[in-house]
Amino acid sequence: MMGTARIVFDRWDGRYAQRMGDVRSSATRDLFAAASRSDIISFAGGMPEISRVPADAVASAAAEAIRDFGSEALQYGSSEGRPQLRGAIVELMAEIGVRARQEDIIVTAGAQQALDLLAKIFLDPGDVIITEGPTYLGALQAFSAYQPRVICVPMDEQGMDTDVLAAELAALGPRGAKFIYTIPNFQNPGGVTMSAGRRRKLLELAREYDIPVIEDDPYGRLRFDGGHMRPLRALDEDVIYLGTFSKIFAPGLRLGWVIAPRPILGKVLLAKQAADLCGSAYAQITAERYFAGTRWRRVLQDLTRVYGERRDAMLEALEEHFPAEAEWTVPEGGFFVWVRMPAFLDLKALLPEAIEHGVTYVAGDAFFPDGRTGRNCMRLAFCYATPDAIREGIRRLAEVVEDRLELYRAFQVAGALPDTMTAREVPA
Amino acid sequence: MKEKIAVLMGGRSLEREVSLRSGQRVADALTDSGYRVLPLDVTSELVPTLRSERPDAAYIALHGKYGEDGTIQEVLEFLGIPYTGPGVVASALAWDKSVSKRLFSENSIPTPAWVTFTADAFKEMGAATALDLVPDAVGGFPLVVKPAEQGSALGLTRVTAAEELAEALLGALSFGPSAIVERWIDGIELAVSVLDLGDGPQVLPPVEMVAKSGLFDFSAMYTPGETDYYVPARLTPEVESEVRRLAMEVHTLLGCRHVSRVDMVVAADGTPYVLECNTSPGMTETSLLPMAADAVGIGFQELVEKLARMALDGLD
Repeated sequence: MMGTARIVFDRWDGRYAQRMGDVRSSATRDLFAAASRSDIISFAGGMPEISRVPADAVASAAAEAIRDFGSEALQYGSSEGRPQLRGAIVELMAEIGVRARQEDIIVTAGAQQALDLLAKIFLDPGDVIITEGPTYLGALQAFSAYQPRVICVPMDEQGMDTDVLAAELAALGPRGAKFIYTIPNFQNPGGVTMSAGRRRKLLELAREYDIPVIEDDPYGRLRFDGGHMRPLRALDEDVIYLGTFSKIFAPGLRLGWVIAPRPILGKVLLAKQAADLCGSAYAQITAERYFAGTRWRRVLQDLTRVYGERRDAMLEALEEHFPAEAEWTVPEGGFFVWVRMPAFLDLKALLPEAIEHGVTYVAGDAFFPDGRTGRNCMRLAFCYATPDAIREGIRRLAEVVEDRLELYRAFQVAGALPDTMTAREVPA
Repeated sequence: MKEKIAVLMGGRSLEREVSLRSGQRVADALTDSGYRVLPLDVTSELVPTLRSERPDAAYIALHGKYGEDGTIQEVLEFLGIPYTGPGVVASALAWDKSVSKRLFSENSIPTPAWVTFTADAFKEMGAATALDLVPDAVGGFPLVVKPAEQGSALGLTRVTAAEELAEALLGALSFGPSAIVERWIDGIELAVSVLDLGDGPQVLPPVEMVAKSGLFDFSAMYTPGETDYYVPARLTPEVESEVRRLAMEVHTLLGCRHVSRVDMVVAADGTPYVLECNTSPGMTETSLLPMAADAVGIGFQELVEKLARMALDGLD
């Protein structure tokens, strides 16, 4: 098929609202994300291993939804989401230590919709919000349409640095930010988990400065090792909690949920009605039926085991192939490892070369609102490639990085580098 | 119906996004002028598409590697498709600043003192042990480090102290195989475009850039509001005439045709220094060539159409 070099323009360019100019899109990133040579091993996307979800179980759940609940499944439903599904969510939440009632929950189209709705109800242009830096790209995208000023708080191996947070809040003053957005478990992209002490400190600060906390917890149930950490919402009922079925069931159903204090939930509901009236009852009933049995627990165990093996494969391969100058986080669950290289190494500039070598990743700048910070970092997703592919992909990536590091070492050997560049930094 | 023109844009260079913006504006302008426009990205399908579509000419709206270094020009000549802008040799000479600066200085065109380093000189020859000699070689601090082969000021760092030099070099070498270290000239930054629309090359009014950040880097170049522009530049008549003379000399020396944009800086004592020559100047909303053309009454559409006609009519 000829003609794929053709470009189709946007004839309506110049007529869009100003806020769309703030929504970051990177033609370079899109291009490389689209690089779909079959021999490329991708560490770029955080896609769940959906082949492990038994098709027959989903098929019967979906069939039941139409056969036994057809008049509801194919009709408009309530904006809050079906009581039965919210009941199932109440139980899921209880298992991780969060007490919630059905009335505290709204079902959303993935947690992603909740991010958009929360930004819509809280943000005027120029409002300040606080996130971890780096943070989830999709959250930055959802927020940016409402034109906030984003302050990033760095992380270490215990998660968000609450000393830095305290300093930022002190400078902003009470109610100086509209909300604090955090992913405490196996952070995307950082791979780190917030310690119990930091969780308490974060909540204290939020209370002191009277700023809502949004806890995004897509990966919490995908823990490979270490003990369960109590969600922020379990420690403080003012926390806005976002959950999703995407990682414990399937992203294709587009089901997530938000738990929030009643007044906030009321505003989310209004925004949700304006956005889509109600979610898909068909998808909700399918999920209800799937979670009605006990098989989902074995599936989740199996998924967690598979992801754990892939994490191990990636960490082992990094240890074996990656140079001494590289540092990376060791996630106890979730999908991602965050790698940091010496400051001068521009991993965005390196991406075309990596693709030529048959491996791809997301350069760290995508996870910062300024689009500049983090260029010496990369996010590696271990969730989707098989352990063998992961080992091969890391080997290829190491070759590409090694070539650049030869230069770095030549400077080091000559004693030409300042001490600040040779000192080891804390990852993430 | 007028001729068919392929507008080449995008590509895998780091300046892809800028090129797409340039390309879209060029394609719109040519469409408005009644041409059949074929907007093309540089992918592995480019050559087959050019062969099957057989455009009458190609408008090169590519920036950076492959678009500005002679690669695409060579391909188009091989396919027998006339194109806009300088040819293979001029593109290659202008693209590599370590070569063009040498040509400037050999031809009495003032250019800031510089040294060039390839990555291989560091890796294979221990050149990092000689960094202490660099400041004196270029006349002291501050100095600027940039990739020898990159447009749009990507990988550019201003260095004010010896301990910053190594990191700046490593940064610049992330973007290409060689880097130059150049004396920083404090002064008025200018872009001087040379345009030949069939009556011989004419120098357009110099455009003065004042970056609010103090450094005219990638972000200042392409973010509206981050830079103030003055057209014509605020120069004395003597300096302006010298600047114009130098732009013309660079254009001719490198063998450019149709268009080029010569970037300069005028030092406090009034001496202009040539920094580089761009053979595929940006055509975005904030680009300098369209700004300069506009100042002499050549609107964007006319500029684009006339450049396309130069290619279509086979004029050098």
